[in-house]
Amino acid sequence: MKLYCLSGHPTLPCNVLKFKSTTIMLDCGLDTTSVLNFLPLPLVHSPRLSKLPGWISKDGTINLEKELKECAGRVFVDSQPEFCLPEKELLDLSTIDVILISNYHCMMALPYITEHTGFTGTVYATEPTLQIGRLLMEEVVNFMERVPKAQSATSWKNKDMQRMLPGPLKDAVDVWTWKRCYGMQEVNSALSRVQLVGYSQKVELFGAVQVSPLSSGYSLGSSNWIIQSHHEKVAYVSGSSLLTTHPQPMDQSSLKNSDVLILTGLTQMPTANPDGMLGEFCSNLAMTIRAGGNVLVPCYSSGVIYDLLECLYQFIDSANLGTTPFYFISPVANSSLEFSQIFAEWLCHNKQSKVYLPEPPFPHAELIQTNKLKHYPSIHGDFSSDFRQPCVVFTGHPSLRFGDVVHFMELWGKSGLNTIIFTEPDFSYLDALAPYQPLAMKCVYCPIDTRLNFHQVAKLLKEVQPLHVVCPEQYTQPPMTQSHRSDLMLELQPPPMPYRRCSVLNLPFRRRYERVYILPELAQSLVPTEVKPGVSIATVSAVLHSKDNKHTLQSVPKPPPVPPTKKRKRVMEEPPVAPKPLLSGAVPLEAFLATLQKHGITEVKVEETAEGHILHLQAEDTLIQLEEDGTHIVCDNNEPLRTTLRDLVLRFLQKL
Amino acid sequence: MNKDRTVVDATFVSKKGESFFVPWMESPGKTAGLVHNNHQIRCVSIGGQSMSACFISTVVSSRAAESSIISFALKLTGLVAAAEDGFIALQETSVLDLAFDPQHWREEGLWEDPCVRIGWIHGFNTMLQHREAFGFFVRADSINPLLQLQTDASLFVASAANQMLTHLLMFCHPLSSGFNETEVDNKSSSSSITGLKCPNATETDQEGAAVVTEILEFLKRRMLPKEPSQFHQSQQILKLLASILSQAGPSLQNKLLLTVGESLEELVASNYSQLTRPLMDVILAAYSSSCGDAKVPDQIVSRLLSVMLNQRAPSDLIHAAAAFLCSGHNNRIHMEQSACILLLPVDIITSLALLEGNFIVKDHRLSMMEQLKSKTSCISMICISLKYIPRITLMDASCQPCPPAVVVDAVLSLLRLCSGLSPPSPAGCVTMFRNVTGSGKVQKCALEALSALSSSPEVKVMLVEVFTLLIEYLNHPDSDPTVLQKSYQALLKWIGVCTNLSSITNQLKQDLTQVVRKRVCDMRWEVRDSTVEFLGHLAGLPACSTENGGVCNVSQYLLGGCSFTTPLLVEALHDPESYVRASAVSALAQAMTHSWRQGAVPTKEQAEIVTQLLEILSQDTEGFARRAVLQFFITWFSSHPSSTSSPLLLQSVRSVLLQGSADLDWEVKVHTLDLAELLMDQAFLGQHGYTKGLESHPAQPHPYAVTDKQAYTLHTHSGNHTLSSDLDSLVKQGLLSVLLSGLFDCDRPVCLKACRLLIRLKDVLLLRPQETTDAEKTDPELNCELLSQGWAHEIRNVLGTEDRTSGTDAHTVTVNVCDLVKCLDLEERLDVLTRSSDHFYNSPRSLLQDILTASSAHAQQDSQLKEEVIADCY
Repeated sequence: MKLYCLSGHPTLPCNVLKFKSTTIMLDCGLDTTSVLNFLPLPLVHSPRLSKLPGWISKDGTINLEKELKECAGRVFVDSQPEFCLPEKELLDLSTIDVILISNYHCMMALPYITEHTGFTGTVYATEPTLQIGRLLMEEVVNFMERVPKAQSATSWKNKDMQRMLPGPLKDAVDVWTWKRCYGMQEVNSALSRVQLVGYSQKVELFGAVQVSPLSSGYSLGSSNWIIQSHHEKVAYVSGSSLLTTHPQPMDQSSLKNSDVLILTGLTQMPTANPDGMLGEFCSNLAMTIRAGGNVLVPCYSSGVIYDLLECLYQFIDSANLGTTPFYFISPVANSSLEFSQIFAEWLCHNKQSKVYLPEPPFPHAELIQTNKLKHYPSIHGDFSSDFRQPCVVFTGHPSLRFGDVVHFMELWGKSGLNTIIFTEPDFSYLDALAPYQPLAMKCVYCPIDTRLNFHQVAKLLKEVQPLHVVCPEQYTQPPMTQSHRSDLMLELQPPPMPYRRCSVLNLPFRRRYERVYILPELAQSLVPTEVKPGVSIATVSAVLHSKDNKHTLQSVPKPPPVPPTKKRKRVMEEPPVAPKPLLSGAVPLEAFLATLQKHGITEVKVEETAEGHILHLQAEDTLIQLEEDGTHIVCDNNEPLRTTLRDLVLRFLQKL
Repeated sequence: MNKDRTVVDATFVSKKGESFFVPWMESPGKTAGLVHNNHQIRCVSIGGQSMSACFISTVVSSRAAESSIISFALKLTGLVAAAEDGFIALQETSVLDLAFDPQHWREEGLWEDPCVRIGWIHGFNTMLQHREAFGFFVRADSINPLLQLQTDASLFVASAANQMLTHLLMFCHPLSSGFNETEVDNKSSSSSITGLKCPNATETDQEGAAVVTEILEFLKRRMLPKEPSQFHQSQQILKLLASILSQAGPSLQNKLLLTVGESLEELVASNYSQLTRPLMDVILAAYSSSCGDAKVPDQIVSRLLSVMLNQRAPSDLIHAAAAFLCSGHNNRIHMEQSACILLLPVDIITSLALLEGNFIVKDHRLSMMEQLKSKTSCISMICISLKYIPRITLMDASCQPCPPAVVVDAVLSLLRLCSGLSPPSPAGCVTMFRNVTGSGKVQKCALEALSALSSSPEVKVMLVEVFTLLIEYLNHPDSDPTVLQKSYQALLKWIGVCTNLSSITNQLKQDLTQVVRKRVCDMRWEVRDSTVEFLGHLAGLPACSTENGGVCNVSQYLLGGCSFTTPLLVEALHDPESYVRASAVSALAQAMTHSWRQGAVPTKEQAEIVTQLLEILSQDTEGFARRAVLQFFITWFSSHPSSTSSPLLLQSVRSVLLQGSADLDWEVKVHTLDLAELLMDQAFLGQHGYTKGLESHPAQPHPYAVTDKQAYTLHTHSGNHTLSSDLDSLVKQGLLSVLLSGLFDCDRPVCLKACRLLIRLKDVLLLRPQETTDAEKTDPELNCELLSQGWAHEIRNVLGTEDRTSGTDAHTVTVNVCDLVKCLDLEERLDVLTRSSDHFYNSPRSLLQDILTASSAHAQQDSQLKEEVIADCY
């Protein structure tokens, strides 16, 4: 069993598991942090961005002023943002049989894997994962395509050039593999390969293994996966949460007794408690509005935003924010808000029961109804006429490099009254803000990451007791910034197996059993013998038939009646050799000695060994080794004695 | 006899008396005296001995009586028999033998009931005031059942048995050792032996000696546990021993220590953790006696104390050291030893070398480190340590292991570790660090310690560090509401103590402003409430000195004063949580007091606030906020100099009185009467006949009520106005309506207060100086109007005004105030109101039931209920 690790990002994993002749890709997350190296894509012309000076090395030898721009001491690539793809060279992607998706954040690289690679397999995901994943992909494509950039910067990627660049561009890895965003056609083609599954539904893969998604409690339709054969079980845990938010709670018990547990997607903010962060979010929001400022919340169009809106729904009145408008701007805002209301079966119990009342499960429906929350596909159109300040705006993209958020950054960045509140944990807020410096607006960082923290995961692993744990190497040491916090790492016995980008792990796990079916007529012909109470055995001669990883024992076909030939005659003359009987049982020492004595062998010296006993028949100069699983008679050139002794031993054993 | 206990018991008896005697007696008037105190009860008992005896014998021999009635009867028997003649009278009817025979109650199947057992003990205990009673006790062989009850399953019974055994020993010892009044008086003030007649019968002496010996032997025999199940028994014995030692005179103590000394030494050496605290109580009780009295074998006590502070497991050492520090003894060696032990856990966790070079606790360091690795014992030891650390800094400097500022530094370090604000020192153990990281309990204890440390000497240099850390705590997203509240409290304490705030940098001030601004918008109402309270308290602090050597209002200096505070508080008036609204009202009062005192003309902003407050009073659905509004006006009225009476205030007071008296909440009504009282005080103080009675301070507030700790200043009457005009203006303000409606209110505290105020008004009206004519006394101009509804209707009935007002509007009747107050028979009303009381039930079960109910509620892990309990506790 092997694991190929194509992504080094712990929360955006992409691993391939080879198990029992199947090749299974576990998630295909897209590392979008690479976009932080690029200049933002403004929706309307930004004089500030267009006036940024080009970069020329200090000694003037390298001139990349067309490709690189300098802002507040940092250098950015002036080109369409590019993403860091999963490793494509480690194995032939066309050999992948299936891709299992655990949540909509972990499928953003799907078009890069399924298109133009020769991939012919199937993608399995739950319905909300597919639908919301599609929305997120559509949104990114839309953000990119509506502000096309003619120029594509590539010179800076030249190894010799890159080496001379200032950080962090200098330290960016595999820049040659970075790719522009896919288009809608590729998205549609990739998603057409998705086959929908429900929680606990068992899907057979070529008869070799069965895969089954389990609720992971992190987002709508998010799942962990169980990959099992008859005798082996691999659990894949990705983005899970034990907090009570909107999704169905995590199914922990089904993860029990796995041989290997692949653990990814733990919280990126182990020291930030989501409840505390939510509190910070609300109080900072209220504080800004009271002071007459605007609040900008860069966020994804699905996920935590539902919880934020629910929290605000309760908070609005207590903070006297009843008259403040809340805007949600995204090309998929409407679909996202509506999808959340129709996936009732994937929601937590409280929300499910609301549907029967009938009431919308999420309170944002009421916010929309009462006009407190308004949503728009973009800043153009209706929004510009409805826009009132002070207000709260939720919009993407959280990297601040593309999407409507870029416009609000340009609009509100100059006033200290306004606040930007980061709630998504995927991007460093300092890096995200770098191309907007100098910035007067207040900045609050309250990342809300509901995924498992180290304390919870330790408890979970104690409960489900996997034999081996495989995890990204980042989880096996404390975070770099808090090296003293040894509580922020996985400490397990045996220690977890760490992986990094491009690792190929041989999982410490040997298959010992295989299930074989026996046909009824063959079974009928067997003569079992009881070797000990409750255990019977029988010998069988049969033909083993293997197809689609299913093994069946069939009766030996009777030889076809062939015309008698000489050769045939000769064969018929020889009686068929019956297989030697199998022996079972143990030789009891005392009884055996008594039998020997009866047969005149009296001078026996018994020596105890680690395995059993050695009997030295002194007169006969013969040794008998009695062991648990064998008996040896060593006597030189005395065949009659050997035969006698053999027969005496056989008296105590059962023949099958 | 213990004074507190007497009150409780007497009330209990009075309630029972009311409940049970009234149907019994032919004339209820005869029981009226059965109230208030023992003395009266005794008088009545003697007067009505036959009646009591009849009651007691009926109950005692009844097979159908309830256990609570039997319990009462037994206590009553004790009260009656406490006097010798009562005792003789009861003995004549043989009722005593039956009542105090446990076997009798066992046969009835009632001894199982703790009510009966506790009644038996209390009855006997009360009765044991004279030698006849003692003789009866001995003859009835009651010592054995009493000793058995000492380890009773009911904690109440066991505790009462301990009290009685102590009392018995106090009683018997002088009997057996020759009566020495001086000794008894000196040491046994709480014993009921005072007033005991000097016994002279030799028989009694012998009996006393026998009882003393039996009790001492019992103590010695049962003290050492032979198996773990006997720990409870040992604990009880130790409690009894501690109680006796703290009350006994030197001779009894000598005798006691000589008898049980060996057992004590054995117990101390045996290292039973469970017995550490009761053992320390015993040793400290003996130790306090040994000070200054050479007769007591103080060598034993000193040895025991040394062993307790030296040779026990770390967690026991901490308890022993804490107990010693609490006891207030000033033995230098032991004090230093205790201080070092208590500082050791903090020293180890913070690695701050608090005890560097100190050899006293060197031997305990390793074992303490081992203990600190276990989470439970780590948190428990750190919390005890933190609780007592402030005491260490207040000790004599020569006993202190390190300077107070270093201790403050250690507490700050611990707080940083707890919240993950700073890395642990490399020398520290990771396990210990993990134990305290994120522990809310340690955070709370450390913040309490930090608050207490503010009053230690030489710590003011730490102000900036404390300030910085507390702001970090207030800013921390994960701080729970209680931690935030305690951070605010600590901040206030330090600001209050440090009069010079010049070291607070502008950055810190800015951080504080920012964090307060944020917390006042917090999602959790508890946090908003604490923040609003903080703003109020800060505004109420005295002035501080600043960096330019000037003097400035603290709130002004740190937050920019009213321009920052008032808008936040006004915003909080609209908070959805009533507690926050109430706190905002109180905080506004505190913030505005300064300008009121100076007699400043109210600004437009203040006038708007008053309008909002009147709105709260008339419309708020919760009592807390309305009560706070009343308190606001009380504070305003009492802090405003009368010479510059503000029209806004007078105008508001009229509305407040009108709305407050019509409120449904009795506390609002009582506060309205408080305000009315202030009005009266202002009008009449200095007038002939007017007394500033006990009511000059507002009644004790309800525990939830928002209180204003500020003292009320009353302004004496200027003398420029005549009484009539004063009265007239008061009537116009609506004072009379408030008082009269209060008088007929359904809540007793309101009636009582109104009645007392009316009596004072009546005194002013009717006890005018001699020169005033009768005509003036019944001032025909001073009238008030009565409607025909509610309380006014009641008054009309009392006055019979229907006949006298022919020709006027049938709905409104005008009456003369002087006539009115004369007709109301206020003194009798006051008498009735004072005598009645609210229901009060005392039984050994009730408290226990409460505890059990509460614990079972917690056991259910019903988080919502738990939250409610927490909210209530908050």
